[in-house]
Amino acid sequence: MTPGAPITAVEVELARRRRWRRWIVAAVVLVVLVALVVLWVVAGAALRLTDESTPRFDDPVEHFMHGSIGAEPASGLPYKLWAVLPDLFPEAFEGRPDYTAFGFLYDTDDPDQGDLPIGISRRRAFGVEVVWFNCAVCHTGTYRLDAEAEPVIVPGMPSNNLDLYGFVAFLLDIADDPRLATEPVLTAIEASGQSLGLLERVFWTNVVLPQVREGLLFRQVRLGPLLAEQPAWGPGRVDTFNPYKVVSLVPPIRPLTEDEAVGAADFPSIFLQGPRAGMSLHWDGNNPSLAERNLSAALGAGVTPETVDHAAIERVADWLLTLPPPPSPIETDDALAVEGRALYMDHCAACHGYLAEDGTYRFEGEHLGQVEPIDRIGTDPGRLDSYTPAFRERQLSDLFAGTPYHFRHFVKTDGYANHPLDGLWLRAPYLHNGSVPTLADLLLPPHERPVAFVRGFDVVDQDRGGFVAPPCDPDGTAPAEGFCFDTRLPGNGSQGHVYGTTLSEAERSALLAYLLRF
Amino acid sequence: MSDDMIFSPLAFRSLTLKNRVLRSNISGRFDNEDGSLTQTRINWETKFAAGGVGGIISSYVPVLMEGRIIAGYATIHRDDFIPLWRSLGEAVHAHGAKYIVQLSHSGRQMDLPGVHNQHQPTPSSTSQPETLHGFLCRAMGAGEIRQLVQAFARAAWRAREAGLDGVELHAANGYLFTQFLSSGINDRKDLYGGSLRNRARFLLDVIAAIRETVGRDFHLQVKLSAVDHNNIIPWEGKGNTLADTVQVARWCEAAGADALHVSTGSLFPHPLNPPGDLPLEVLAVTYDAMISSGIHGFRNFLLFRYPALRPIFRWLWFRLKGDRDNEAISLNEARVIKQAVSIPVISTGGYQSASVVRGALERGDIDAVAIARSLVANNDLVEHWRAGLEQPPRPCTYCNKCLLNAPKNPMGCYEESRYDSREQMLDEVMSIYRTRGALAIPPVDGAAA
Repeated sequence: MTPGAPITAVEVELARRRRWRRWIVAAVVLVVLVALVVLWVVAGAALRLTDESTPRFDDPVEHFMHGSIGAEPASGLPYKLWAVLPDLFPEAFEGRPDYTAFGFLYDTDDPDQGDLPIGISRRRAFGVEVVWFNCAVCHTGTYRLDAEAEPVIVPGMPSNNLDLYGFVAFLLDIADDPRLATEPVLTAIEASGQSLGLLERVFWTNVVLPQVREGLLFRQVRLGPLLAEQPAWGPGRVDTFNPYKVVSLVPPIRPLTEDEAVGAADFPSIFLQGPRAGMSLHWDGNNPSLAERNLSAALGAGVTPETVDHAAIERVADWLLTLPPPPSPIETDDALAVEGRALYMDHCAACHGYLAEDGTYRFEGEHLGQVEPIDRIGTDPGRLDSYTPAFRERQLSDLFAGTPYHFRHFVKTDGYANHPLDGLWLRAPYLHNGSVPTLADLLLPPHERPVAFVRGFDVVDQDRGGFVAPPCDPDGTAPAEGFCFDTRLPGNGSQGHVYGTTLSEAERSALLAYLLRF
Repeated sequence: MSDDMIFSPLAFRSLTLKNRVLRSNISGRFDNEDGSLTQTRINWETKFAAGGVGGIISSYVPVLMEGRIIAGYATIHRDDFIPLWRSLGEAVHAHGAKYIVQLSHSGRQMDLPGVHNQHQPTPSSTSQPETLHGFLCRAMGAGEIRQLVQAFARAAWRAREAGLDGVELHAANGYLFTQFLSSGINDRKDLYGGSLRNRARFLLDVIAAIRETVGRDFHLQVKLSAVDHNNIIPWEGKGNTLADTVQVARWCEAAGADALHVSTGSLFPHPLNPPGDLPLEVLAVTYDAMISSGIHGFRNFLLFRYPALRPIFRWLWFRLKGDRDNEAISLNEARVIKQAVSIPVISTGGYQSASVVRGALERGDIDAVAIARSLVANNDLVEHWRAGLEQPPRPCTYCNKCLLNAPKNPMGCYEESRYDSREQMLDEVMSIYRTRGALAIPPVDGAAA
């Protein structure tokens, strides 16, 4: 007998069972290990896929400019794709490595956000870092006191540089571009020095990029025809509600009538929201609720009722309550301004409030914040008509239904609201549709106002108020810089608001001297 | 001659007992490792004969070495043992008692395999290990079974040659015959498994072979378990019913059995056999002898050793017994079997009271009783009855300490409360070792073969 061999049949059996037990234990250990690995992978994937984290900025200005309001998951582009679009489509980006070609602003002093423009925030969705708009994209602009100066970025002023139409049209355009296929994109991503792991590559190939493309194609189909129908908005302008109708609502409101189809208007400034509470907000004054107006604007930026980050929006809203505009740097003759102030108080203050002698704007006026009927104000009806009763019905029934954020205050108005004029010097071009380049022009009878002018400059016109906006020929060569805005196109009309136009030239000069101080 | 039915002779077809009391099969490890019996066994059996029983059924006597339940029990597997058995028979006969050899084969129910059997699984009807202790076994082939049938026949022949009075086939209590008979154990797919007739084939073949070998006139009785109650381990099958056993009893009679000895249970020990207590504190100090016998040995030892675990085993064990009396525990089943056959029926199961035995005999429920423990406690139980006592002054308590000491200690009554002292108890237990003759000096060199 072999030394150590079992002596009895029972010992043989027990030894056999011990051997089996070893195998069983080994198998169990193996199963447990495999299960742990699977668990690790699944948990890792689950954590990653459910990670909706977004950077938090304690400073409200930083939060406004770079914090997410929840637009990314539903509307955004993966960051890695965002970063290589300029490489993939250099012609659209004018050969620049950034998004300045579309008028996006970069806060180069901010190392954390250096590679994303102001108004573009990041948030993780399904494990992918996605970037898209926040409030600042439409509400941060620049000015220069002279053409040689560095632009000064002003949070809260209209985004006078941003060519949203151009940017959206670009995205719709590339939806079916071969360069947006998986391979070119992944190649560009890796060429840009961004790493993609094996699993990430599989995920991007099969999920991320197809979804991006799907989303862009969807918008191409829905939004493309609308944009094609509309005149280009030009920098600093957006059609607030019509894209909503065709993209966000399910089912969409289609087709749009001729009257409602062109609703482009200027980005508004969003200074000092506190005193505006209860006024008729939006250009057409269709909602008196700051919160609803804010949420509606956030929808325009791309949030959905599912992805919206209410807390982030409310942080912005709170900050805006008291955000003052920078005071006007334009110095005018005091005596003239006093004279102008008297004229203003007679002709304008009831509707637009006034600038007190201490230089602060006063939200006081009998008609301030009220809607002026279109037959009296007489300005271009495009924006007013784009907000239709049918759309309002859908807003109230569909959006945030069943939540505390359910829209309740939207109304259909018959005109445009009398807005406060705080920060007026940063809000050119003027009228709701930005059809009048300067304050001086606004005081001219409509037929004397510029027919076409260049938008998109941020050099303050210290004489006429607003930004330098040289005349241009829409039918001729496009200007080397900026966008030639043609007031003869639908929605672009510069008619109406004839207040002050009957004043004498001297009176207008005086009034201008006062207005330039707003 | 007394009118007491207990003391009326019992005439089997070819054997007559002087009374209706048999010493049932019980033994200790008195014998030699090679299976040869010893003076101690003669002493053991003789004291019951002297105590007045009409007959003695030997302890379990294997017909082959591979069928021992406990190494150290006498076997009858060799012709050269015939003189030894003759001596035993003569010693018993000297007291007017008859001696019936219980021919046996353990099958898988092998408590202490010893050096002869420890190296191999035991032949059985099945290859499924025994359920309680995990004794290993293997299903015998048909040829092996036929050889074993002949081994039984040869053993019966040896018994007759030794002048003994008959043989009993131990087809009860879980040993090899039960392993074939029981539907809870027999999982064979051949002629020896499946239907009751097939499961009984081995037993009936043995009866036939014995009859063929020893003729019609040598007493042959069969011990059967009336009901298997095989489900001590709750998920085991229940095994044979009383109806099954009635049928087997009829077949045995037809095959040539002269009497039936009715017990119960398809394992030994069993909650119903021997009925009584099961002091686990005794097992805690004796079961260690069996730890290496089965694959569940150590588990069981732990259950016995640690008081906190004992309730588990107690529950398993006693849930089958319920509130049945220890005495005459299988009488009803024996009566049913007796009604089905025309040969005498012996009942076993805790008999100790004269009135109980007398009543059963007078009603014709049974023809005789076989008693083990009560006779171990009072070898002269029969004489107490004869003296008119219902029970001896110090009756068996059914404590089963005799049973639980069996794997490790000499057989005897270990119920100290029955003795005046521990010394008296030991004296009584050791009394069987008193030799009755001179020890022989082994021959020198090759002087004798």
